[in-house]
Amino acid sequence: MKILICIKQVPDMESKFKINGEGTWYDQADLAWRMNEYDEYAVEQAVRLKEQVKDADLTVLCIGPDQVTEPIKKALAMGCDRGVHIADPDSSKREPIAIAAMIAGFAKEKNFDIIFTGMQSQDRGSAQVGVMVAEFLGISAVTTIVDFAYDNGAIQVKRELEGGSKALVTGTTPVVLTCQLGLNTPRYPTLPNIMKAKKKELLVLAPDTGGMGARQETAACYFPEKKGGGLVLEGEIPELADKLIQLLKEKTSVLA
Amino acid sequence: MYFELTEEQKLIRDMVRSFAETEVAPSAAERDETEHFDRALMFDRLGELGLTGIVFPEEYGGAGADYISYAIAVEELSRVCGSTGVTLSAHLSLCANPIYIFGTEAQKQKFLTPLAKGEKIGAFGLTEPSAGSDAGGTKTTATRDGNDWILNGSKIFITNGGEAEIYVVLARSDKSAQKHKGISAFIVEKGTPGFSFGKKEKKMGIRSSPTMELVFENCRIPGENLLGKEGEGFKVAMKTLDGGRIGIAAQALGIAQGAFEAALAYTKEREQFNAPIASFQGVSFQLADMATQIEAARLLIYKAAYRASAGLPYSLDSALAKLFASETAMKVTTQAVQLHGGYGYTREFPVERMMRDAKITEIYEGTSEVQRVVIGAALTK
Repeated sequence: MKILICIKQVPDMESKFKINGEGTWYDQADLAWRMNEYDEYAVEQAVRLKEQVKDADLTVLCIGPDQVTEPIKKALAMGCDRGVHIADPDSSKREPIAIAAMIAGFAKEKNFDIIFTGMQSQDRGSAQVGVMVAEFLGISAVTTIVDFAYDNGAIQVKRELEGGSKALVTGTTPVVLTCQLGLNTPRYPTLPNIMKAKKKELLVLAPDTGGMGARQETAACYFPEKKGGGLVLEGEIPELADKLIQLLKEKTSVLA
Repeated sequence: MYFELTEEQKLIRDMVRSFAETEVAPSAAERDETEHFDRALMFDRLGELGLTGIVFPEEYGGAGADYISYAIAVEELSRVCGSTGVTLSAHLSLCANPIYIFGTEAQKQKFLTPLAKGEKIGAFGLTEPSAGSDAGGTKTTATRDGNDWILNGSKIFITNGGEAEIYVVLARSDKSAQKHKGISAFIVEKGTPGFSFGKKEKKMGIRSSPTMELVFENCRIPGENLLGKEGEGFKVAMKTLDGGRIGIAAQALGIAQGAFEAALAYTKEREQFNAPIASFQGVSFQLADMATQIEAARLLIYKAAYRASAGLPYSLDSALAKLFASETAMKVTTQAVQLHGGYGYTREFPVERMMRDAKITEIYEGTSEVQRVVIGAALTK
């Protein structure tokens, strides 16, 4: 069984973000970086599947500048077998379809049974790459999965829908699955596995978007305007409680 | 000269930090309060993650990483819990390491492998009521009886005491020899007849790390448990403490780092006179001093750890690192309490525990005074 896991390196979300000089993205200097959280669920699920079926080969792929070998190494330490680094210092400027084209360009004719990736990245958040990879490869895609089971070429997954409901989806491989929070708890890479990771194969490829030129560009990137000081309710306590319940129902998902 | 961690070292740091914050930190205050050693968390989990044998070769169940990785692991654990940090340091530096350096192949197979795999905890018995800084004053005796040795005496202030299964113990094997020359090192297993535990110490800090007295009453151990050569125990002890100092320095660094981060967060949030107190120069200068000392300590530790990994002499470097890091820990944690004001003096905030935990780093595995003796002797010899 052949499995591909597509991951992205993103800034630690607790970092202090600044807008870059062009005003189109965040400034990448002086940030702490980590593996996109949703991609960690993808890596973990792939490793668990390998533990289940035994005979599986896990390739982890990441696009970006040299520093993205760090999350690749982490994925290898978590249990992936080989790494692919598409060395592209301009990856943060590319639109989702170009990223998807690069991944599909690598994956085509390699007959991956399952491609796991995060449901979106924590920085760009387009949630488009996974489904476009499936489209390029002509295979099916199931998004935002929170539960996964595999048996002899058949998959059964749960998808998270709006409002807390879930959908049960069955299908067969090959398939692209995008992973959502709640799917699993990623393991810590153990120390011996961290040490072994540096001996695993890491293939470095040049970026090739297959001629997929720019169709969209980010015009501006900016912080939201600071909002005022919230909403103050007035009145007697029973009345206040009713108003609060109504607001929570209408404006938030706290109460259904 | 490079000042960047390797990818492996960064991965190890991230892994241990994530584990420490998620699993170790939540119970640190309660374990301190109740003096509870949670073996499943504070040792067994470290074994599962491969931390209990970080620096030893894979053939003995280790991970084959370097001493900088080890220092990073102890620092990250100590950043949230000084007790968990010293559990690892005493186990690895003071018990597994002398067996790795001085042990026979059979001793390594039998004792080092389960230690490195995290199946057994290690401890080190050097200190006695009348032999602390002066290790040559050891009074515990080892008397030959056929092929065996009979141990008599007691050891005090033993970290991991009672919980550990394997102990490296120093005893006087030749009463006629000069002070340092008549001492030998032995490996003693928990459960050996004649080996028992005395009182558990009630301590100021690192309260969830057990500290106990070891008692030997006609404790018979087989001749093959002699560690190193007969009469070379003092050398074993000194070499062991060289490595131990890196561990304790890293523990001190972690405690200081934890207290500094708490103080930084608190002073940015705490408002007095309509401004966060961190915006006052008197406070920000203190934060600047704390950060500077912590970074200096870290570099001293990494240098000592680098030399240990490279097979270079590092006695002086580990003494410099231990002295500076432990005194930094005491200064930084005291300042962190001060910057928290009245809240810092309560157990609602972690800096109170960190200040108590920091003090021991100036005392054990060679007091600050002994470090100055080591450094002074190296400078003036």
